[in-house]
Amino acid sequence: MLNIKLNPETNIYEPETKTRHRVATALLIVVFFILPFVLAHLGRTGVYWIWVTTEIIIMSLFAMSLNLILGFGGMVSFGHAAFFGVGAYTVALLMKKAAAPLLLALAAAPLMAAVAAVIIGWFCVRLTGLYFSILTLAFSQLLYMVAFQWYTFTGGDDGLHGVPRPDFLSPTNFYLFCLVIFLICVWLMRMLVNSSFGLTIRTIRENMDRAKFIGVNVRFYQWLNFIIAGAFAGLAGGLFAQLNRFAQTEFLHWSRSAEPILASLVGGMYSLMGPTVGSAFLMCLRIVLQQAHKGLVEYWAIILGLILLVMVLFAPGGLIGLVQKIIKKKNG
Amino acid sequence: MAADILRVEKLSKSFSGRLVIDNLSFRVAEGELSAIIGPNGAGKTTLFNLITGYHVPDSGKIIFNGQNIAGLQPFKTVRLGLARAFQRTNIFPKMTVLENVVSACITRQERNLNFRTPYKKLTQIHQRAYEILDSVGLTAMAQRLSGTLAHGNQKLLDIAVALALEPRLLLLDEPTAGMSPDERWQTVALVKDLWERLKVTMVFIEHDMDIVFGISQKIRVLCYGNLLAEGTPKEISNNLKVIEVYLGEKPMMDEAC
Repeated sequence: MLNIKLNPETNIYEPETKTRHRVATALLIVVFFILPFVLAHLGRTGVYWIWVTTEIIIMSLFAMSLNLILGFGGMVSFGHAAFFGVGAYTVALLMKKAAAPLLLALAAAPLMAAVAAVIIGWFCVRLTGLYFSILTLAFSQLLYMVAFQWYTFTGGDDGLHGVPRPDFLSPTNFYLFCLVIFLICVWLMRMLVNSSFGLTIRTIRENMDRAKFIGVNVRFYQWLNFIIAGAFAGLAGGLFAQLNRFAQTEFLHWSRSAEPILASLVGGMYSLMGPTVGSAFLMCLRIVLQQAHKGLVEYWAIILGLILLVMVLFAPGGLIGLVQKIIKKKNG
Repeated sequence: MAADILRVEKLSKSFSGRLVIDNLSFRVAEGELSAIIGPNGAGKTTLFNLITGYHVPDSGKIIFNGQNIAGLQPFKTVRLGLARAFQRTNIFPKMTVLENVVSACITRQERNLNFRTPYKKLTQIHQRAYEILDSVGLTAMAQRLSGTLAHGNQKLLDIAVALALEPRLLLLDEPTAGMSPDERWQTVALVKDLWERLKVTMVFIEHDMDIVFGISQKIRVLCYGNLLAEGTPKEISNNLKVIEVYLGEKPMMDEAC
């Protein structure tokens, strides 16, 4: 019998870079906590930017939730908006129609989304590749149509407006509230991705057939991952409904499903924070272009297309992958 | 006589009307090291696919360790103690060599549902993974991405992953395919060594007759999905039917039988 002494962590990272990494992360978090207070001093543009950054945080959470199945699980879902929408409608309905407190509504959002994912996922994981993608799309469009038609319950194409907001949630406080939730979610997802479960999911992405032959019940783990991703998306949707104070059918629309896919592609699918970087980048870029020249927004689709083209061709690892490559080169 | 670990009874399977496995029956004794030979298209890989549950048989039984496993899904047959290595390298290319084996160890110990502990901190499992890598001589490459390994080493890793499952029956589908002659004999020596040390029952498919006759205790000759002959290397080399169909003058395997 061999007895190799090993410290698994040093196998993967140099301890020094790890400390540096931690310090940088902590600094970044502090900056994000201070940010709204700085912005609040800038008057109306400041408030606008607080709103924008809050939206970025929420959309980043949405994108990260998709990436659990997309980047880590290798399942391309075209219907992730279904869970975002279910979360949003849950919060809107509970708060508006049942006068439920915010925290209860926000706890119900991921739960309801998870229930939807249990049902939708049960069917979808039976298919692979493009068939899986198309079925997720079909289910999300189904929910979209239900929300569109069920006027008495969902408000149809008007949506549900005037979702109440507790008094203490000023823009700054809501920003901080979202940031804290976001950080907790990142912490949870990081744990998930690095766990045995995360490794199992990666084996399925890498080689589904082989995963079966090491004893992995592929469908079950894909299902589980799908449900978890759906729950996080539901939470993001719930926060988004509270940010906008409405829920509308557009939240369930397939174009909403495309956003986290694009964010993941641009930011980097194979890292945890890639989708966050991607959404922040795309959303900021869009606003900057808009403010630089109104007409540029008309060309947004072209600009986005060009960015994607460059990314897919030259940086398949996304922005994060690009940065990692540059750092590697610098260190020789 | 050791008990049979595997009994294949009247197994049949056809693909779009073509009978690939035709009423096939044989037994594998526990602890045996045996080979399956036969021309291309004889149904060797299909047989492995049936045993491991990748395909569902049309009829017949596959009794593994006293239990009929015909049609059981692969992940279930693995849990019962069946593992296989593949003809075409079948690994997790974008994971390190170590991670390949670790993931198999995690599944073997049914710890996939651990959501909290980072897998990198499962020291016991890593130790076990290193032991296995050492037994196939891949320890030095543990941290490399497995997709970047040379073909021969990828085949070894494939075997290592199968070993990590601690199988009672290990099916090796052409373990030396695509290797240079030197590598072939090294791999064969390794397989034989593993068989002796681990006391695992092994069945392998092989095209190289020198290897087949060199190491197997028993040889089964498959032809058109049927068992043409079965016996010790000596019996097989004297079997007139086998000589007639392809051992004879041409040692080439790919002749029609």
